[in-house]
Amino acid sequence: MESIKNIIIESLKELNEELNIKELENPDENTKIYGEGGLLDSLALVTFITDLEEKIEDELGYRITLVNERAMSRFRSPFKDVKTLSLYIQELIKEENKDG
Amino acid sequence: MSWLLEKFKTFGNKTAIIWNNKEYSYKNLYDKIQEFETLLEKDIKKGEVIAILGDYSFENIALFFYLYKNKNIIVPIISDKESEIKEKLKESYSDKALKINNGNIKIDTFPQTEKHNLIENLRQSQNAGLILFSSGSTGKPKAMLHNLDKMVDIYKNRKEKNINSLVFLTFDHIGGIDTLLRLLSIGGTITIPDDRTPETVSKYIEKYKVEVLPTTPTFLNLLLISGVYHKYDLSSLKIIAYGAEPMPENLLKKLKEIFPNVEFQQKFGTSETNAIKVKNKKDNELFLKIEDENIQYKIVDGELWIKSKTQVLGYLNAPMDSFTKDGWFKTGDLVEKTKDGYIRIIGRKKEVINVGGEKVLPSEVEAVILELPSVLDCMVYGEENPITGQMVVADVIINDDIDQKEAKKLIRKHCREKLDNYKVPTKINFVDKVNFGDRFKKIRRK
Repeated sequence: MESIKNIIIESLKELNEELNIKELENPDENTKIYGEGGLLDSLALVTFITDLEEKIEDELGYRITLVNERAMSRFRSPFKDVKTLSLYIQELIKEENKDG
Repeated sequence: MSWLLEKFKTFGNKTAIIWNNKEYSYKNLYDKIQEFETLLEKDIKKGEVIAILGDYSFENIALFFYLYKNKNIIVPIISDKESEIKEKLKESYSDKALKINNGNIKIDTFPQTEKHNLIENLRQSQNAGLILFSSGSTGKPKAMLHNLDKMVDIYKNRKEKNINSLVFLTFDHIGGIDTLLRLLSIGGTITIPDDRTPETVSKYIEKYKVEVLPTTPTFLNLLLISGVYHKYDLSSLKIIAYGAEPMPENLLKKLKEIFPNVEFQQKFGTSETNAIKVKNKKDNELFLKIEDENIQYKIVDGELWIKSKTQVLGYLNAPMDSFTKDGWFKTGDLVEKTKDGYIRIIGRKKEVINVGGEKVLPSEVEAVILELPSVLDCMVYGEENPITGQMVVADVIINDDIDQKEAKKLIRKHCREKLDNYKVPTKINFVDKVNFGDRFKKIRRK
């Protein structure tokens, strides 16, 4: 769980080197990502997600797809904040393990 | 007899074709055409659809002109894949296929079938024909029927010139046929390389003092990346003519530094309309003006539409969707027009990436990425994305002197400075080579 959170925070920091959003300089688990009060617009979100998927594959060895029908139709967006996202990723990885 | 064959006769001992390290004169070519006539008289009837299997060779070129003289409908097929040949023979309604092997001609005859109306009409008009296939980078290749007599007549009354051009595009490609007819109608020499690698092409340029290289931006970039131009003496080159896809500005700049004495010319043509005479803008040949008495053009919603006197008679295996009822051909090329009447080709309509409703031209993004010295080549295309519909993806080849992480940052940063937000590549893949087809054009998809 910690490692996933760290990867998300790292990705946000890296992305922010391009975006230069003040609130994203030191993200933590409560940092809002997308949606109400979110710091990213949809374009930045797409970039963030591709970066994140790559990192998860590189560092944890899981190939997961973050955006799919299910993610889009959830009542609570998995991209709301760092904490919600890391829980969602954990869930995806667990499923991946089951299938594999 | 055709004016063209008369010309072959008068050009006599001038070199027409360099192939397989041997030089063939116009007399050799003329004699070979006669020889085929005697040899094939009984087997090949006027008006039949005849496939030539194989790429350029002295014999295949002679065969081409024999069939032209004999008013046949010619189908050049260069593939060596059995299934592709079969498919093309069928789609072109071929009666026979000719294949030359070590000087011997093998004739395959196929059962007679009812011909397409367009073929019947052409036969009745007693004209020779030519069937070419589109490259089929998207969907099934389209079989296009041309009136070969009309096509050849475009090259009539041109001034005799002693010029040696490499023939780069293939025997089954409108650009390749254009090189062939253009050079042989003026008494020039065509040099046929064994293959189309930068190495072989450079070797032939040096060895035979080739003056004209008609090619594509993709090939020219490969030539630079490979570095082989250092190894060979390419100083005989006077003209590099390019077309078939947009030329990135930065590539052109690099090329001009490396070949300061070469004149760069942009050409334009489509399989449907043939090569079109264009004038390049003096100080910037990325802009061109269509100056061709056979051509009318207009720009509709940014797309170039053309009406040509020598355009294709029709497709044999596809609907005429890309033509309007009154005969305009929608080229699919997106262009911008300057006040003084020049146009610039900026991309293909179907390659436009739609990011949440915003349109992105791959060539624009590619040009920006290519400004970076660490980037050797790149290709931009759209990939599906549930959030924005499509997203911008870049496949990039980088130098050894930079690592991928650094490169990714650098590319994104540079794009962000130069481009609107939605045009910045979301995903960057590092690759060894970009995807291009056998006609040396980038194929912008996965």
